[in-house]
Amino acid sequence: MSAVPAPTMPGTAKALPGILSWRALTILVTAAAVLGPLGLIVYQSLLSAPFFEANKSIGLEAYKFIFHDDDFWQAAWNSIRIATGMTLIAVPLGGLLAFIMERTNLPMKRWMEPFILVPSFVSPMVLSFGYVVAAGPVGFYTVWAQDLFHLDSSPWGIYSVTAMTILAGLTHVPNVYVYASSALKNLGSDVEEAARCAGASPLRVAFSVSLPLIMPSLLFSAVLVFFLGFELFGLPLVLGDPEGILVLSTYLYKLTNKLGTPSYHLMAAVAICIVAITVPLVLLQRRLLVGARKYATIKGKAGRMRELPLGPWAWPAFALIALFIFVTVIVPISGITLRAFVSSWGFGMKLAEVWTLDGFREVFNEPTNTRAIWNTVLIGTVGGALTVACYTAIGFATHRRNDWLSRFVDYLVLVPRAIPGLLAGLAFLWVFLFFPPLTPLRTTIFSMWLAYSVVWLAYGMRLISSSLMQVAPELEEAGRSVGASRGTISRSITLPLIRPGLIGSWLLVFMIFEREYSTGVYLLAPGTEVIGAQLVSLWQGGAIDIVAALSVINIALVSVGLAIALRFGVKLRD
Amino acid sequence: MAELTVQDLHLTYGDNPILKGVSMELMRGEVVSLLGPSGSGKTTLLRAVAGLEAPLKGSIKIGDKTMFDSAAGVDIPAEGRNLGLVFQSYALWPHKTVFDNVAFGLKLRKVGGPDIEARVKKALEGLSLGHLAERFPHQLSGGQQQRVAIARALVYNPPVILMDEPLSNLDAKLREEARAWLRGLILELHLSALVVTHDQGEAMAMSDRILLLNNGVIEQQGAPQEMYNKPGTLFTADFMGSNNRLEGKVDEVSGGRAKLSGEGWSLWGQARASAKQGSSGTGMIRLERVRIASGPGDNRVQPELTTSMFLGDKWEHLFKLGGTPLRAHGPSALAPGRHWIEIPADDLWVF
Repeated sequence: MSAVPAPTMPGTAKALPGILSWRALTILVTAAAVLGPLGLIVYQSLLSAPFFEANKSIGLEAYKFIFHDDDFWQAAWNSIRIATGMTLIAVPLGGLLAFIMERTNLPMKRWMEPFILVPSFVSPMVLSFGYVVAAGPVGFYTVWAQDLFHLDSSPWGIYSVTAMTILAGLTHVPNVYVYASSALKNLGSDVEEAARCAGASPLRVAFSVSLPLIMPSLLFSAVLVFFLGFELFGLPLVLGDPEGILVLSTYLYKLTNKLGTPSYHLMAAVAICIVAITVPLVLLQRRLLVGARKYATIKGKAGRMRELPLGPWAWPAFALIALFIFVTVIVPISGITLRAFVSSWGFGMKLAEVWTLDGFREVFNEPTNTRAIWNTVLIGTVGGALTVACYTAIGFATHRRNDWLSRFVDYLVLVPRAIPGLLAGLAFLWVFLFFPPLTPLRTTIFSMWLAYSVVWLAYGMRLISSSLMQVAPELEEAGRSVGASRGTISRSITLPLIRPGLIGSWLLVFMIFEREYSTGVYLLAPGTEVIGAQLVSLWQGGAIDIVAALSVINIALVSVGLAIALRFGVKLRD
Repeated sequence: MAELTVQDLHLTYGDNPILKGVSMELMRGEVVSLLGPSGSGKTTLLRAVAGLEAPLKGSIKIGDKTMFDSAAGVDIPAEGRNLGLVFQSYALWPHKTVFDNVAFGLKLRKVGGPDIEARVKKALEGLSLGHLAERFPHQLSGGQQQRVAIARALVYNPPVILMDEPLSNLDAKLREEARAWLRGLILELHLSALVVTHDQGEAMAMSDRILLLNNGVIEQQGAPQEMYNKPGTLFTADFMGSNNRLEGKVDEVSGGRAKLSGEGWSLWGQARASAKQGSSGTGMIRLERVRIASGPGDNRVQPELTTSMFLGDKWEHLFKLGGTPLRAHGPSALAPGRHWIEIPADDLWVF
């Protein structure tokens, strides 16, 4: 008889514990990376002094201190005003832009879409510098406008709560836009055409039919923008600080210097106050998302998508988008770019006379700056790839499993969403100081990378899970039926299938890592410089030439990522 | 007086011509059906009239107002045409109640509040929807949704009402009732209606006139009886009704008659314009005109019975005549084997 042994069945009980432990390990590491820093903030907020001091006690003194500080209440009030105002601006405008781009036959719209999304890819710090040098008291556009219209003073002011609210509102339009347009994509054209035939103009169709029908998505993005309002840091730092206008995040940042000594316990207390606002909002958002999906399935019968002919309305629609792109993209970016190539600027100056490359020379003469550039590239490329690998591992740990561990991870990845980058950076600084085994890594780029990866966990997991969800379950079930274990299926079926999605995610992660600034503010040290955090520090020192040049380099890095993404058709939004 | 006049309308999607010069008129109080297979351009024509598609060339007039004229550069947008359109999917706005769905067109026309209420109420009651005013569309049955869609299109008294496959979303049984009801409603309200349908039975039952579209042009138009009984072309004959189709050779044409013969059979029929002696031809006869005969005779053949299907009110018998399938209706089941079948010469069209 045949001596060939029966092939051992792969993927039998022997393989399972290995996979389980691998899965458990992944989830455990994730939980530690997310909950450790958060726990440390909570612990620190309940101490009467920084955790490294011997003389400390547990209590609520830190909270008592900040609650008796008028500046805290003023900052909280400003945060509420700005967050509310920017939501009221960003939601209707983002919805309207999405309607125009998604549902109408506006010419050249595919070409304009990347520009609408630009504000979400450029660092808010850079955009804020841009507004200062373009539209500040002696900004390029201010000077030109005064020359053109013979005005004695600037026609606008940018150092006020109102101006901050408007600019924050405009720069957060893309956040609304991405959700509104993906919801509008699923809407049948017939309901819009019915309104049209009943006698409604395109604008009326938008506000009476299309936008009410995507109300769940609009509400979802309204909550998103509202809590991003509490996380604002770059804009109020650059535009509010000169007039002494504080918001919660800048109040926290200023606390570092307020008492002379590190006042970690006070900062932690403020951090907990911010988190106490954002966590409920994130949970609310999650509920709304579930509701939004239900709504989408109720509508269901989406026929063939037909673009609404705009007719004579094409001009106003085009003008609206052009104006938005001009104010939100062209003004700040042209401002900061021009500023990088001039030695100084003011009334009566001609661009040709002050033209210089000195700003860039200064950048490259300073080793901290060159290191910042190098580190920023490194953290985006190599770091980005590692980050995507980690996110993918977490994605596989919950993929097609519906047990309590998966649900735990679902909530776990949401936690960093509620912690503004500035606080997360602070928390990671404490983690590296608190745990002696980690301390040697404190001054390496690893600390920065870890903080970045945790801060962007929720964003990245959405990218990964949308790739994973596109793999038809039958393909994996077919693998099981021929005898492959979960691990083998993941490696040899699912992973190869989602590779294009992973590469796209890598590019998007590259762009957000190039853009990130607030997470690095507290982690900035010799060896961990990145452009974003370096800009905050240089701005504090008033080195405007270097700031402008470094900002342009930052924009260039993001642009490279954006160009590659557009070239290879990576979806900039889901 | 013509309520709607379409002249030489051309329309393309990219390089793909959809309408290749369509002209038609819709008189006041008339119901015209646009009939045709899918891809024939019937829905596109309706949408072009509504202003939802941009034609390349031609003109569209409603009453004496020009809505579209490529030569004069006129193109009134959909909201300016004051037409009522009933969508195939009904397209009820899911976030508005039945009342608000119907009232929207009146609000846009700046009708006063009390007036809106009265008119919407009247429209809803006219369609026996009065008790559903506060419901949302998803709380209604398919038939009720359809009536809301019709009420919404009628409430502001448009000169012409356009309907895109108004019955196709209803269950088969409901569809026949709705057909009769809709015809009654159109007559009662003296509506001028243009109705798209792909179902010839529906088109014949509902309309005063049928426009049969084929591949972007009007193949034939006329009253339903004319279309059914005197088809001008093979396409029309084939599209209207259930048919037997016999492929063969035209042996002889004389005195308005043509002799068509195939493998082991030879039949006389009415010669149509395209029948030429000596060339190949197609014979076409309505299923209900084929008779089962008791013995040999003129214009009779003896095919083999393949199977019989019981349809309730009658039987349908499937025969094989050489290689050609032949179907006939009969009152009772037939024994297996060969049977004599009469194909009356007056009812067989030879194309």
